[in-house]
Amino acid sequence: MTEPLLLARDLSMTFTRRSSLFGARARKIRALDGVSFEIAAGETLGVVGESGCGKSTLARCLLRLLRPTGGCVRFDGVDVLSLADDAMRRLRQRMQIVLQNPFSSLNPRLAGFDLVAEPLRTHRTMSRAQMREAVAALLAEVGLTSDFMSRHPHQLSGGQAQRIALARSLALNPSLLILDEPTSALDVSVQAQIINLLIRLQRQRGLTYLFITHDLGVIQHISDRIAVMYLGKIVEEAASEAIFADPKHPYTQALLSSTPSPDPASGSERIILPGAAPSAATPPPGCAFHPRCAHVMDHCRAEYPAPRAVGESHRVSCHLYENERA
Amino acid sequence: MPILTVENLQVQFTTPFGAVKALRGIDFELARGDILGLVGETGCGKSVTGRSVMRLLDENAQVTAGRVIFDDVDLLQLSEAEMRQIRGKRIAMVFQDPATALNPLFTIGQQIKDVLRAHSDLAKPARQQQAVELLASVGLPEPAQMVDVYPHQLSGGQQQRAMIALSLAGEPEVIIADEPTTALDVTIQAQILDLLRQLQRDRAISVILITHDLGIVAETCQRVVVLYAGRVVERASVAAVFADPQHPYTQGLLAALPRPGSRGSDLKVIPGSVPSGLESLAGCAFAPRCEFVMARCREHQPPLTIVGGEHQSACHLHEGAFND
Repeated sequence: MTEPLLLARDLSMTFTRRSSLFGARARKIRALDGVSFEIAAGETLGVVGESGCGKSTLARCLLRLLRPTGGCVRFDGVDVLSLADDAMRRLRQRMQIVLQNPFSSLNPRLAGFDLVAEPLRTHRTMSRAQMREAVAALLAEVGLTSDFMSRHPHQLSGGQAQRIALARSLALNPSLLILDEPTSALDVSVQAQIINLLIRLQRQRGLTYLFITHDLGVIQHISDRIAVMYLGKIVEEAASEAIFADPKHPYTQALLSSTPSPDPASGSERIILPGAAPSAATPPPGCAFHPRCAHVMDHCRAEYPAPRAVGESHRVSCHLYENERA
Repeated sequence: MPILTVENLQVQFTTPFGAVKALRGIDFELARGDILGLVGETGCGKSVTGRSVMRLLDENAQVTAGRVIFDDVDLLQLSEAEMRQIRGKRIAMVFQDPATALNPLFTIGQQIKDVLRAHSDLAKPARQQQAVELLASVGLPEPAQMVDVYPHQLSGGQQQRAMIALSLAGEPEVIIADEPTTALDVTIQAQILDLLRQLQRDRAISVILITHDLGIVAETCQRVVVLYAGRVVERASVAAVFADPQHPYTQGLLAALPRPGSRGSDLKVIPGSVPSGLESLAGCAFAPRCEFVMARCREHQPPLTIVGGEHQSACHLHEGAFND
């Protein structure tokens, strides 16, 4: 089997928060706890979960924008966490991130040209004319005319600004794009434009995506495989179709059932979870989902269920499937 | 008879760039005991409509025409003192972000008791009792202790429950909920929508639910009003709009949603983006983005036309079917 483009093994990120000025009692917050997955080149892995489940921390750890406190990240065979800083900077050309809100991620003082050209200036040597040509080509690729070279972020609509952010992230011809809720701030009609664009870019450039979102409609549309996160852990991972047709983990089932469907006739009975997700500072013992789970058993409260295969490349961390064989 | 009727509501904002027409003539009725969805994208005027009904518009906004009829009275003609007898008592509002809508300096109980003091004849001990009961009725755990906590001590979902308890304190006949679940996670959203349906059922409260999420409308509302650029483009029962959308904008919105089984395919796109409200719109505001645009769309605003039963849509295509 060929090495996946991106691989995470047992990735953990524990933040330490001092509870007083003098750090008398430090609180540990386990934002990521033993996260493992692989993404093959050209594939899209969707990561879905609610606020605080660690999905954005995961994105930052993969790019080493945060240094994980444990585990391993390999990108195209290279151990990302042990690279020297300058080697890491070179590697980051190939792994880029697009954030949710382009108006806070794009420098408001720069015009479209400079926003898109900045990575080229940092990493490439080219003449001004070559750069103009490159920027014009990138803008065209994301569906913007060269007029946008002179526009500042405040002159853009949300969709246009997200296109600029995409053009910027593509400037260095990356292999991997980490997309952290790239359409969540957009209206439905504009969201569809950006999703279509992302799918087209992936086909044309052979890009690999890690797509983070809380929106199940979007994630099923764009992902080959989906990982469901709850409180810093991946609780279920499978092909997109399998997650939607046959969700195994009670949390995945509740998440799917809670999502309002734009089809009044669907009329399926909703699973309404009690309570809210616990804080990563005080995770419940055993399976972190047990206080909200309708199927909770005694050992759920004591022991975290190890991930087990429940179908072809379908794994789930739940004691309910202890006796099942793949 | 509808409990609330909005007629030809027009609202304009004064801005440094000129007058922005936020509402260009909104008409709808809220039937007694219904949940009515007001749906549309950013800037379509759904929140301004809600705030106009509550008379909570910012100072740079003027209502330039229209009526809001509640109990045979035009709310827009009332004095501020008269309006105070309605706002919070007979019509209450639930806002998107409870963390900013609740007062951080007072406990949940104090805020509820303030409303009770203003809008009920209850004596002090009865107000305390009533506050506890209200918190219990919205499903907050340990309501007797909850009255003494501050908003920041609650989770987002609990804050929104407290906000709803606050809105219920005046025993309102109408609740206007402006994106009440947009700031919440989907599993918490399901809890809050369930609570709204329960209130509608048990207390016969009529609800205007303002949202951008068509899924929420489909699962929660009986009737829906689709807004675009400050106008009603379509209104009907939820079943009719979702089964057979008539206006090209509504059709486009529904087609733009990713759905099960759509993986990897091209989503239908509405080109361009919503108008800002600064430009004067001759004709149909949707014309520049509409795939069916005709010459007269750019000149004449199409009126709301009955396209079947109580289903109305504002599009020249409906006339064209008969006249051309």
